[in-house]
Order: sequence, then structure tokens, then C-alpha cells
Amino acid sequence: MVKADNGIKITGKEPPKIGVYICWCGINIGGVVDVPKLCGYARTLPNVVLASEYKFMCSDIGQGMIMEDIKAGKVNRVVVSACSPRMHEETFRRACEEGGLNKYLFEQANIREHCTWVTMNDVPGATRIAKDHIRMAVAKSGQLKPLQITTVKVEPATLVVGAGIAGINAALDLANSGYKVYLVEKSPTVGGHMAQLDKTFPTMDCSSCITTPKMSEVARNPNIELMTYSEVVSLDGYVGNFQARIEKYPHYIDQNICTGCGHCIDICPVECANEFDLGMKPRKAIYLSFPQAVPGEYTIDMDHCIRCGICQEACPTSAVRYDDKPEYVDIKVGTIILATGFQPYDARRMGQYGFGKHKNVINALQMERLLSSYGPTEGKVKRPSDLKEPKSIVWVQCVGSREFTGKGRKYCSRVCCMYATKQARSYKEKHPDTQLFIFYIDLRAFGKGYEEFYNDTAKNYGIKFIRGRVAEILEGENDNVIIRAEDTTLQRPIELEVDMVVLSIGLEPREDIDDIARIFNVTATKTEDGFLMEAHPKLRPVDTLTEGIFVAGNVVGPKDIPDTVAQAKAAASSAATLMSQKEVEIIPYYATVLDHKCAGCKSCLALCPFNAITFNEIESVAEINDILCKGCGTCVAGCPSKAIVQNHFDDAQILPMIETAIFKKPKQEEVKVE
Amino acid sequence: MASNELKFALFLGCVIPNRYPFIERATRAVAEKFKIELLDMKGASCCPAPGVFRGFDIDTWLVIGARNITIAEELGVDIALMCNGCYGSLLEVNHTLKHDKEKRRMVNEHLAKIGKEFKGSIEIRHVVDIFYNDIGPEKIKNRTKYGRKIPLNLNLALHYGCHLTKPKDIRPWGNDVENPTFFDELVEISGCKSLDYKDKNMCCGAGGGVRGAFKELSLDYTREKLENIAAANADAIITCCPFCHLQFDLGQVEVNNIFKDKISAPFKIPVLYFTQLIGLAMGMTPEELGLNVSPDLKGVPPFTAVKPVLKKIGENA
Amino acid sequence: MEILETNKITEISDDLSNLLRDAGYLELSACIQCGTCSGSCPSGRRTALRTRSLMKKVQLGLKEEVLSDKELWFCSTCYTCLERCPRGVPVTDVIIYLRNLAVQEGYMQAPHIALCKMFYNTGHGVPINEEKWNKLREFHKLSSVPPTTHNYPKAEKEIQTLLKSTEFDKLTGVGDYEEKKDEKGG
Repeated sequence: MVKADNGIKITGKEPPKIGVYICWCGINIGGVVDVPKLCGYARTLPNVVLASEYKFMCSDIGQGMIMEDIKAGKVNRVVVSACSPRMHEETFRRACEEGGLNKYLFEQANIREHCTWVTMNDVPGATRIAKDHIRMAVAKSGQLKPLQITTVKVEPATLVVGAGIAGINAALDLANSGYKVYLVEKSPTVGGHMAQLDKTFPTMDCSSCITTPKMSEVARNPNIELMTYSEVVSLDGYVGNFQARIEKYPHYIDQNICTGCGHCIDICPVECANEFDLGMKPRKAIYLSFPQAVPGEYTIDMDHCIRCGICQEACPTSAVRYDDKPEYVDIKVGTIILATGFQPYDARRMGQYGFGKHKNVINALQMERLLSSYGPTEGKVKRPSDLKEPKSIVWVQCVGSREFTGKGRKYCSRVCCMYATKQARSYKEKHPDTQLFIFYIDLRAFGKGYEEFYNDTAKNYGIKFIRGRVAEILEGENDNVIIRAEDTTLQRPIELEVDMVVLSIGLEPREDIDDIARIFNVTATKTEDGFLMEAHPKLRPVDTLTEGIFVAGNVVGPKDIPDTVAQAKAAASSAATLMSQKEVEIIPYYATVLDHKCAGCKSCLALCPFNAITFNEIESVAEINDILCKGCGTCVAGCPSKAIVQNHFDDAQILPMIETAIFKKPKQEEVKVE
Repeated sequence: MASNELKFALFLGCVIPNRYPFIERATRAVAEKFKIELLDMKGASCCPAPGVFRGFDIDTWLVIGARNITIAEELGVDIALMCNGCYGSLLEVNHTLKHDKEKRRMVNEHLAKIGKEFKGSIEIRHVVDIFYNDIGPEKIKNRTKYGRKIPLNLNLALHYGCHLTKPKDIRPWGNDVENPTFFDELVEISGCKSLDYKDKNMCCGAGGGVRGAFKELSLDYTREKLENIAAANADAIITCCPFCHLQFDLGQVEVNNIFKDKISAPFKIPVLYFTQLIGLAMGMTPEELGLNVSPDLKGVPPFTAVKPVLKKIGENA
Repeated sequence: MEILETNKITEISDDLSNLLRDAGYLELSACIQCGTCSGSCPSGRRTALRTRSLMKKVQLGLKEEVLSDKELWFCSTCYTCLERCPRGVPVTDVIIYLRNLAVQEGYMQAPHIALCKMFYNTGHGVPINEEKWNKLREFHKLSSVPPTTHNYPKAEKEIQTLLKSTEFDKLTGVGDYEEKKDEKGG
């Protein structure tokens, strides 16, 4: 669908009448360069019919100036010399549009970030650069053409990747808003890490009690198509029109006739590590992740199954199918929400703590499983070496977090101070005659009710908080554990022998985050952070730079449950906003292949980072999908026949900018109109 | 590097040539068996000792260290050394001067006065590095297969020391220096077992100028180490540094004396340098490895008798 | 009154921390006083040395206290703290640098000065100073005198030239500067 211009018809074939508007931006620009003088300079440039200046061009008054001049027919091209286009390009474009000018006949010269903000102490230098920018923008302006915006329909469906608490909440909000939701989860059950937790701080709610109702809801909701034990393997398309292919791993069990009697589990001869219990208790090769798993589907882990056939024989309904194959499902959605969560830090990387070596050194997630009523010891915390209940425990904080060397991550994992306090309190509640210590660097209790919880735990439960990062952990007699640290407040070394140590491990990006980033074409931050990058850390926390794809929860960074749910709801809201508009605009910066020049060499196909170019074998020319094309310009530069042109960044528009930048004096030429 | 091309300039330092010459004897003898050629570094001085001289003046330490390195540069070969302290010094001097233009310029200004120039053309190798990375534990194990009729079967308490492994960034041991195993792999030959004892990676106490200025403090470290090693029932302590060796050897006698009220019984654990152990496993005689004791000389090492371990493996000292 | 005492800090100077920053030890400014260094220190658990406190004193510019304290010399440079510091503070190297500053101010331990004398006179911190060491070398089938500065007087002269060139002799009171030095903090 094509939008018609409003008001005055500019065909682009008229001689350009350029209006230059120079912004002071308060003292940001005006405090360095002489703006009125720049105006005078602008008036000398070819095709410039007027040059005005104002303190804040982005303000209503500033925008009004532009609109007035357009309506009065004084100008048919607008150049604003101000801040970076990333700030106000859209503002000024809309102003042009409201004035009646095609918004792509606007050009912005950046004389702030690219000039006065980096050349503050060199006034003549800054002035020279500002003039260059203005002259270049004017040169391009003379060559601009009006462009039309296309719109595409938005499929009213969302793909939510990851069914932890973030994915579940996002899916429910969208489903209840009337949108179709495909909820894809890699493991056999929904619930994520929250299903592994015992209690949640600061309310001491039982985690599964608050999670399982949502888990059931997500399975029941008619608008949600739940695909567990599945993974998105490829994605094509663009905002509003994504096509995803999902691989559903085989369970090797016909879920339609399995009654969940559990007989197969009883007689399976193979024992292997149980991921849900973090290796603390074995499971069988045929298994159900945990009792409240949703869906309650049994699975055979073929990495460990020996295909002895015993379960197949024993199953009363003959539900076991060794020949089961993966299934592929293709779906079409308008929006995507990534909520794939985190993975816990591997404490073996901190060699001095002896994790994996000393029997009674465990990590916090293992402690959660020990505390949990459906954990490996049914809620009675027993230490691994002798299964005795520990009489003394030390929690070691900041394991793998706040580490500026290669051993861990630089950031603070945010939740560990609170979860350690919670775990200590949980244990002390049932075992008042124990000695529990938390060795910390800082105790971070930032959230609602957190500081009160910390205060209450110290006061009413007698947990001892000792300031000093644990330096090393040794094994003593009877597999007891010895910790060494300095009590920094007393300035005395401490060497304490206790029954068990819990390492408060940090939250890390998942191992497969690069794969996720690649499939979904979003940027994984290349800093040590390693999480997915939001579009803007402050103002767009659940958007990504890929339109139509949103993020929520720990996939963006470590956070507690309230923040995770808030982000999930925010992402759902953003997706709903997009989908409710039914159509989305496509920016017309796309590139086009000139058939008569295309030699059919296919060089451009490999160059396109957005897979927007295909080859037409019949005509023997390359073709660019103008909707997938993001206008990056790579193919334009790479085409050896110069057969590709790009809207808004054509050679006829860029070359005059370069010429005038180098030769300083603007070339006094007649405007070429094609 | 093929093993028939192993040629190094042997840096001796101070403690080995002037107090513990049998460490040089044993290392040369074993090196020869593996066709490692060791050239003399004529006119080499103290490395200079990192624990003391680096603490007094870093620039002097760089200059004297650089002078030692130039001796090997002129021979056109890498340096091989047998001491953790010398390793700490020369490795870090070499690295610093290879990367810091300013320091290099400063050092060469001083060296010009004696007609020398640091070029940065060689590497510094500890013999543990050479035996582990160039020869390899497999090859050593093979050489010990028919070396002795009866395997050694000793329980060994290894002492890595400090400067061998730390700071890890410029050393060839990988990312984990909290629980290193490479030295253990080198000596677990001929039935020997490397024991896990409490605080195995703890410092012996000699370095950092501590033995020099506060002997009793250094010996308190050693006392703790000896207690842990004794508790593990070790047949011998294995070192790869002459200063640690001195601290465990002479230091053991001093500990028995100074701390006699603190310890339950005097310690008498033999101390061997690792090349002596490898030599024994290969069937070499104690004399070849400097394990024989002079009947005439008094007040010389070994201060703690090595006879017990020789007896255990069936050798006559 | 004997019980009255105070070690109140009334001035914080940047001089000492700036010296360390200029020497390249920027991370020291990011020390969060977590105590890993002190907790790891084998000296700290048997002496008054508190590595972490030392770092703090440097940050606050308590120069005289840091440089004159004997504890500065209790560190055996085992490098465990440096390896474990989560902020990447090169703790051991900082201590070594502080020792340099202390020596410049005249704070040296007497046995260390003696070591410097031997270094200047022989080129070795632990030289052959008795015949028995030559005999021991011979017993172990080695040359009576090792091929070090002991056997090459020219080399020994080179060492002295260099030590004079870097003014090590002046710094530690050896060679031409040898006198009955009243060591501070000895």
C-alpha cells in the first residue's frame, strides 16, 4: 500500500530550494561555534534559499519554523544542522511531513556529536568542521528524491522461545489478549529454573506452589500451542512476517497412549545423572523431569538408553517407540519473544574452592534441590559424604561474579546475596541448633522487602554475616570442610572447620546463546557480559535492534523473579502493541538491482547479512527483497558491475558529498535530474 | 622442537653452584641421557634474586638480569635453569624488556657501559618445563621401564614452590594454577605416587627476603609444611627449586631445633631434587646423581639424611 | 592518661597512590577490600601482616606508616594474592614496589644490607665464602670454581660497573658508599 503525499506535490523534478536550519542546542553547539555566522555561510551554498537558526530546533517552535516555510512554498528541501540523526531525524522528518513535504527530502548534518562535542576547545577547528558538514548535507540535499513508505501486514501470532517464568508470563498475557502464541521449550517440561527452587525471597513463598499454577495455565490456554522438548532451528522473514522452523525431538514414547503409570521407570536398568537435581541423584534413562512436570510426558534419553527393550516389553499400553523420529513444524508469526534464561556458573573454574573435588562443597542450586521437598533427599538437607545433616554451613558469596580476571564474570549476579540469606534462613528454621555463616564482600539487598528480610534473618535467626571473601577451601578430617578468609572488619584471619560449604554461584549467559543470537539475528553483546543486548539500556529494555524481536528475563542479564516477570509482561505488551497496529512500516532505504547491468556473477548473495538477495535463474539476475533489505549498502559497494543502487544513499547523492568535502569549494553545477 | 635439538645455556644462579652442587650434577647427568646439551654461561652472576634485589631496586634487577640474558643471547640459545627464583627473575625480566620499550631503552643505556645489549632474542625455560613440554612424561616413563629391576614405589610429597607457577599469565602451564598436575605427572614414574597433602601448594617460606631477614618466620612456614608432609607419610620431599630445597633440607634441622617444643617429634624426611628421582627411576647410581655423602666435609648438604629413602629403594648410599 | 590514644585520619593524600598509578598499578584504585589477599596469605596467618590493610593504607596515602612498617617485609612473595584478586590488583608487585620506595627512604633490614654487600663484592647473594664449598663441588665431580663471576674477574667488574651505574651502591650503602649505616626499621 502506498501513502500519498499530503499538501504540496513535490515530484522531485523541480529545482531544489534548500532551507538550512541550524540549531544552537543550547550551549552544546552554540557555545562552541558561531551559529549566526554559520547561517551566513549556509546562504552562500548552491541551491540554498534560506538559512535560519534557533536555540532548540527539536522544540515545537523549531519544528514550527520548518513547517511554516514549507507551507509557504519557500523551501522544497530541508537540512537541519544539529545533533545526531539518531536523536531527532524522525522528529524533523515528521515535521517536514506535517508541513507537506515528503519526509525523505530531509537531511540532517551532525554538528554536535561529530563536531562540537569532540572539538570543544578548538573553535576555529570546530567551525571548519561544521561548515564541512553543512556543505556536505546541502550537496546531498540537492540530490534527494521523495520516497514512499511501504507497509506490511503483521501476523497476529507470537513465538515465545523458552518456557521459564518469563516465557510463561509473556505467553499468557499475549494469549489472553487474543493472540496466538507458540511457546517453544528445549527441555521436556516448562517451568525453567524456578521449578528447581525451594522458596523465594523475600516472601518465602514455595517456588513450585507459585509456578505450577502458571505452568498448568500455559498448557490449558486455548491460544497457546505448547511445544516442549523442541527447538527453533531456523528463522526467516522480517517483522510481522517471520517464518520459523521448529524441531520437536522424539520422546520415543507415544504420549497419546502413555498413562504415566511409571512402570518403565521402575524397571529401567540404566542410571544416569539427573540434570534437574544437578547430578545429586541419578535418574533412569526413561524419565519424567520432576513430579509436577508440565506436560507430564515421559521421555527416553537416547544418550544413555541401551535399547535393552525391557521398558517396551513392560509397558502395559505398549507406548514405547524406539523408531520415533523428530518432527518439524513450520509456523508463521508476527513477533518473537526470546526468554531463554541463564545457566549457573561452573564453580570448578574457581580452583581454590575445591568444587568437584571436595565432597561437601556444593553449589547454591544443588542446595535448593536439597531443601526442596521433591529433591534428592526429600527436603532433608544431607551432606553428600555421609548423608548426615550438617551442623554448620558456610555460604561463600560472589562465586564467579565480580571477577575481573578470566575466572568468572565481571558483573554482579544480583540475586546471590538474597538467595544465600534465604537458604540460610530456610535451613535454620528447621535446624535452630546449627551454626550458619555467610561470608560476603557486600550484602546487596536492593529490592522491595529485601533489606527488611536481611535484617530479620540476622536478628531473628542468628545467621552470622562475616565480611571477607573466602580465599580458599580445604578438606579436613571426616570430609569436613575448612574455609580460610580474613574477617576484614576485625582484620583477623579466620580458619573455620564446618560440615558443609555452599557456593553462591553467579548467573551466566547460556552456552548456546551465540546460536540463539545467530538464528534470531539479534546481537549478543561482545563484552564479557555475554548476554543479549537490548536496543537501549534505559529506554528500550525489552526491545532488540531487530524489529519484531523482543527479549525478557535472564537472557538479557541476571535478575530476580519480580524483574523477570515485569520484563516478560513488558515484552508481551510491546509485541501486542506492534501486532495491534496490524501493519508495520518498512523504511524505504532498500537497494535495487538494475537488471540491464547485472552480470549474474552472484557476488552480492554472499555479501548480504540479512539474506535479502536471491538469484533468479531464469532471468539470470540477482533480486533483492525490498522488505528484508535493511539498506546496509554492502551489496551496493560490492557489486563489480555497479549494478545495484540504493534509495537515499545513491552514488548521485553520496559522491557530491565526498567531492565537496575534499574540494571545499562547492561545485557550482546545475542539478542533474534523472 | 625435536629432542635431538635440545641445546640450552645452563644458568646456575647462586644456591646451586655455591651450596647445592649435586643438583647441578644430577640435572646434567639426567639431561645427558635425554640428549639435552647444556652449555656453560661464563661470567653469569646472581640472577638477581627476586625476593631481595627486586625488592630493593627494580631497575637494578632489570639491568643485572638483562646482563645474564645477554650471555645466552650471545651463545644463540635459550636459557635452561633449575631454580624457581632464577625462573621468576629471568622470565619476567625477559618478558618485561621484550614488551616495554622504555625499560628496554633504560636497561641498554646501562649495559652499553659494559659493551652489552639486550636483544630479546631468547626464551627462558625451567628444567621442569623442558622435561614436561619438550620431553614429556610418556617418554620419561618409557625410559624408566627397564631402568631398575625393582620399581621405586615411593610415596612422594611434591613441592611445586611459588615462582614456578605464578604469576601464571606468562608461564606455560595453562589456566589453572590452583591445582596443577604437571609436576606430579613428571615424577609418577617407577611406581611412585605423588601424595595429596594439606596445603600442598603453600610457600616454603624462604623467598621474598624472608629467610634472609626473618629466619624464624620462614621456618614457621616450613614447620607447617613438614607437619602436613609427615602426616601424609611421605618417603621423601621432591623439589624443583634449590632455595625450597635448602629450606626443607637445612631448614628441617633448624625447625627441629627452634620449634622442638612445638613439634611432636623431630622431622627426618629426605629431600630430593626431582632430577635425582628421575635418575634413580632410570637406574642411575646414587653417585651419578649426587646422592652420595662426603665423609670428610662437615656442615655441607645434605643436612637431612637421604639414606632412609635410598635404603627404602634398596640402594647402598 | 594511658588509656587515651587515637589514630584518627585527618588527611588523605594522593601522593602515594599516584606514585603507584604512574608505575602502572592502576587496578589498586579499584580494590574493594574484599580480603581475598589477606585470607590467602601464608604470612598473614602467623604475623601481623594484613595485605588488604596495606593496600588500603596506600589508597589513603599513609606513606610514612606503610614504608616504615616492618610488616612490609614479612611477605614471602608467593604470589597467591595476586593470582586470586578478583579486581586484578597485582598485589605482590605493589608490595615489591613499596619495598623499593621504603629502601629509597632508608628503610632496610640489616641482613638484607649484608646481602647487598656480598652481591656487590662477589656478584652473588650467596657466594662461595669458605673452602668447603669448593671441596663439595669437587666431591661431586664439578669444577672447583663454577663458571660464574667467581671464575671471571672481568665479569665481576662488569657487575660493579652496572651497580654503580644504577646507583645501587648509593641506594643500599655498599662499595664506595659503605659506611656504618644506621638502618631504619632494622
